[in-house]
Amino acid sequence: MTDDAGGVRVNGRAFPLEGMPDDERLLDTLRWRLALKGTKEGCRTGDCGACTVLVDGRSTLSCLTLTREVEGQEVTTIDDAATDPDLGRVRAAFTAAGALQCGYCTPGFVLALAGLLKERGRAAPVEELLDGLQGNLCRCTGYAAIVRAVELAREASP
Amino acid sequence: MSRFELVTPRSVDEAIASLRATDGTPPAVLAGGTDLLLDIDDGRAAPSRVVSLRRLPWRTLDWADGALTVGSTLPLRSLEDDPDVRRRLPGLWQAVHAVGSVALRHRATLGGNLGRSAPASDLVPMLLALDAEVDLVGPDGERRVTVDGFVRASRRTGLGPGELIRSVRIPESRPSAYLWQRVRPANDISQIAVAVAFSPSRRAWSVAAGGMPPRPVLLREVARALGSGQPEDSALGAAADRASREIAISADQRASEEYRRRLVGTLVRRAVRSVAIGAGVGG
Amino acid sequence: MRSDLAIKLAGHAVYGTDLDRPGMLWAALVPSPVAHGRLRSVDLAPARRLPGVVAIGPDDLAALLPGGGGDADRPIFPSGEVAYRNQPLAAVAAPTLAEARRAAALVRVDVEPLPALVDIETAFPSWPGAEAARSPHVIAHVHARHGDLGEAFRTADRVVEETYRTSSVHQVALEPHACVASFSNDRWHVETSTQSPFGVREDVASLFGVPEETIVVDGTWVGGGFGGKGASLLEPFALLLARAAGRPVRLALDYRQEFELGRTTLPAVIRLATAVKGGRIAGRRVRLLLDVGSSLPGRDFATGYSIGFLLGPYRTPAFEVEGYGVRTNKPPFGPHRAPFAPQCAFALESHLDEVARSVGLDPAAFRAEHLWREGDTTPFAQPVGPFGAEVALERARARAAEWRAAAPPDHGVGIGVGFWSTSTGAGGEARLELTPTELTIVQGEREIGSGSVLRGLVAVAERELGLPADRIRVDYRSTADAPFDSGVFGSRTVGALGRAIVEAAERLERTLAERLGDSGPVRLAVADGELVAVGPTLRRPVRELLTPEEGPKGLVASGRHFAKPNSIDEQRVVTGSFYPYTDFTASVHVAEVAVDRETGAVRVEKYAAFQDIGVVVDRATARAQVEGGVAMGLGIALTEEAVWSDDGRLVNAHLLDYRIPTLGEVPVPEVTFVEGFPGAGPFGAKGLGEPPIIPVPATIAAAVRDAAGAHVTELPLSAERVARALKLL
Repeated sequence: MTDDAGGVRVNGRAFPLEGMPDDERLLDTLRWRLALKGTKEGCRTGDCGACTVLVDGRSTLSCLTLTREVEGQEVTTIDDAATDPDLGRVRAAFTAAGALQCGYCTPGFVLALAGLLKERGRAAPVEELLDGLQGNLCRCTGYAAIVRAVELAREASP
Repeated sequence: MSRFELVTPRSVDEAIASLRATDGTPPAVLAGGTDLLLDIDDGRAAPSRVVSLRRLPWRTLDWADGALTVGSTLPLRSLEDDPDVRRRLPGLWQAVHAVGSVALRHRATLGGNLGRSAPASDLVPMLLALDAEVDLVGPDGERRVTVDGFVRASRRTGLGPGELIRSVRIPESRPSAYLWQRVRPANDISQIAVAVAFSPSRRAWSVAAGGMPPRPVLLREVARALGSGQPEDSALGAAADRASREIAISADQRASEEYRRRLVGTLVRRAVRSVAIGAGVGG
Repeated sequence: MRSDLAIKLAGHAVYGTDLDRPGMLWAALVPSPVAHGRLRSVDLAPARRLPGVVAIGPDDLAALLPGGGGDADRPIFPSGEVAYRNQPLAAVAAPTLAEARRAAALVRVDVEPLPALVDIETAFPSWPGAEAARSPHVIAHVHARHGDLGEAFRTADRVVEETYRTSSVHQVALEPHACVASFSNDRWHVETSTQSPFGVREDVASLFGVPEETIVVDGTWVGGGFGGKGASLLEPFALLLARAAGRPVRLALDYRQEFELGRTTLPAVIRLATAVKGGRIAGRRVRLLLDVGSSLPGRDFATGYSIGFLLGPYRTPAFEVEGYGVRTNKPPFGPHRAPFAPQCAFALESHLDEVARSVGLDPAAFRAEHLWREGDTTPFAQPVGPFGAEVALERARARAAEWRAAAPPDHGVGIGVGFWSTSTGAGGEARLELTPTELTIVQGEREIGSGSVLRGLVAVAERELGLPADRIRVDYRSTADAPFDSGVFGSRTVGALGRAIVEAAERLERTLAERLGDSGPVRLAVADGELVAVGPTLRRPVRELLTPEEGPKGLVASGRHFAKPNSIDEQRVVTGSFYPYTDFTASVHVAEVAVDRETGAVRVEKYAAFQDIGVVVDRATARAQVEGGVAMGLGIALTEEAVWSDDGRLVNAHLLDYRIPTLGEVPVPEVTFVEGFPGAGPFGAKGLGEPPIIPVPATIAAAVRDAAGAHVTELPLSAERVARALKLL
């Protein structure tokens, strides 16, 4: 066990983690321990991006992250986008562009794009944002509507 | 009931001490975790203790006298974001950019990549072509080895018992390029890759190829054949052919031996041409 | 705007993988270690010794299923022979997933390995002859002919004979299969991610040998189906464990298992020989060798069904077709999106290009000469209905000419034609409930993502009744409460269930008209925040037209659509089942690709799809289907291939080495709809879930050939295969 009693912060709230096994993944802590089911489980091998969350504003594959490794850091998930302006902009863009069908890859895409916009904002050319999203797989949309959403989100960003 | 005990030492000495085997199985080292955790899930690794390097002061990037020293736990994305890296070591930037995805690069590290020593590592061929060195620290102190000497085969390196990779040192800025052949433009593993760099101080090329077992290798004859400046087309063609013949190629599920052999020459030619053009290297 | 966007963007949609129930146990399957073998014993005792573990195997079924289990041909757990690697031999449940996996690993399986058949060409090193039908490896055989093919070959100007090979591709829905089951009061209850709740109910009932009414299937949101979630897979195991344990049980696959246990398109070898005379097709012989895995589900929908796509939507005076379904040690062949049709179109279209070139004709013009028109007859003598192929091809040719004129030297432009017929499934029913403020569609399909339910069915109701979409709600109910529907597959939702809604809407309208007492038909409108019935001269709020007995549900009207299948000319059939068409949908695509002459790598630069649609019911939804179908087709064309070892192990059972297209590989396609050739659906709509995927591999192959002269006869068109065709290797 670590000597850290810090717990994890998710969407601005602190969650203590007493008794949590050291080998627990952030994905499973979010979904099963904290009942925040918005982040999805896809491949669990880091290849699909469905599990993407932000850690201190940076996109992270929660399936390949030990929860103990992010204690003391800020985790952002899809579950409560109300307070994060970048997430709000991306959600609005996805809605306007109708950029989802089954919706399973969507939380991962929203978080990944929000992370990129936090890093670069409107300064990034669209191509750079699209390049940065190649770690997120979608099987339904053919990415076309997602590309439209990226353009809209970038326009709306500072 | 955790499969392993996680310890997160606060100092280098504490980290080295934590690496002493507790029950016969050597502890595993956790940097970004993007390889280790997959190995644990697959059953390829079953450590009873995992030592996290999270608290060590190794997330660093320093230029001094033209040399770049990268701390072993610096996330690759930080390397990628650095405009000096992109300008002075363009091949290294290309290699880093080729690794996985943005989210992966927020956690994956240079140290982790070297420690894993994957045959298809995108970073090792470029580090070979840059004459990079690895700074190790362990119970017997510090030592420095070349990347070429350090990387042996898949999951096998020159790391001694209780040793950690502290940093990687790249001695000078070099016009360089990293070209790969793989199925996808991103988020993929290379079938074959070529790294080239030109050393302004030695006026010599270095060429390395990667992508297949057992490990990425320097193509010394090919580099020599390129001469001491921008090669003529005929010399470049000869060097490219030599690459196809010099290199020990193997087949695996990603590509056949024939295809790799055919490609390596093409990639050498294209990579060298791209460096010469970009850097204005004279003959 | 679709009504599910908000819930999905908020992270609140509950998919199968998200289900969590109080007291829930976690399950794991015990996999066969070999692809083929004689099962001697499965010893569950070591697993049962772990605390909290429940385990079931073949010997436990008699106690759990008083009827004894229903289907001798489809045992829940095998007891004699193991037919494919990882075939479930037993199942365990435990308080955590880790414990369940540990328990499953402790189960002692004793199996005597037998030689595995993995490659169909190994079973038939030379092409199957007359003796093939008697081979123990052949479990499906179809044969049909018409006209004098011998004469056509004898008198031909030219005969072109080629062999094509296509690979196994997986659906790769991002959400793996998952369900939670429980059993109480003699009722089986399962919540599951599925395309067909009633289909699962029927499957489980037949597997268990119990009445359907004792099973309740409640569908969750679905993270992609594409044919892979159309039948039951995990539900039987979860239900049996739940009964044995007396607690709810969660069973989900990890992504490796998604690949290893997936039922999907398997490899095939296709031989086509076409006789040409005077620039026209005189006849064709088709031989299909299709890997059907370890068994065929029920009737053979694979071989006979596919053969039609190898004759294609082209006038073919004489033909002989023969198909063999070969049993191998892999999971059973299962439906993918437009099952096996993209592979057939690849072979046929590439072949027709070769045929045209062999007699000096332009491939696109050659097609135009032969494409069906309404009134032609199909190979099995069905009359061809309204078919937009000619118009779509004309527009495609114009686009191709534009692109060719501007294309750089290493680029090529190609055209591909696809043909589809909407399925109807058994049929469906729907109920409309009209209250003073809204209309609810009550039905048994889940929205699996395409929008066919939440937009398609709503659009039908909008058009029929005049109500705006924001006054129409779709209510999904479980199989206990919903009207029956076959499910989401075969592009059938709007066509079949849509027509049930049309019938219900007509009944609703008639009742309203009677109650309104006006002289003519009634439409609905919104006024002052509530619904109003509007006739030619009278109008009254719906509130005033409802009776007190009708209660909170309001006025209810039901409709159903159970189509009688069309028939084929059985005289043309020698043996096996062939399938009639319901309607005739054309997809014609154009692609511009760049081919790297030194590496064989193909990059898709531009893509255009011309889609015969009947009538556009909802434009955004329709466009999204084309965009998604094109991307999936590009995967089949360029990168997707499941690879098996000689001992029946799936080598690339993960998303790193089974590559579906990423954002950087798919251009945004230009989408054009061709209206005016009505199909079988409401207002003449044609189903759109599958048609857009079909011509994609064919179109890419044509473009690659145009770019570099490489004629590749295998899918996918990997860089290495293109390099070989370019003689680089």
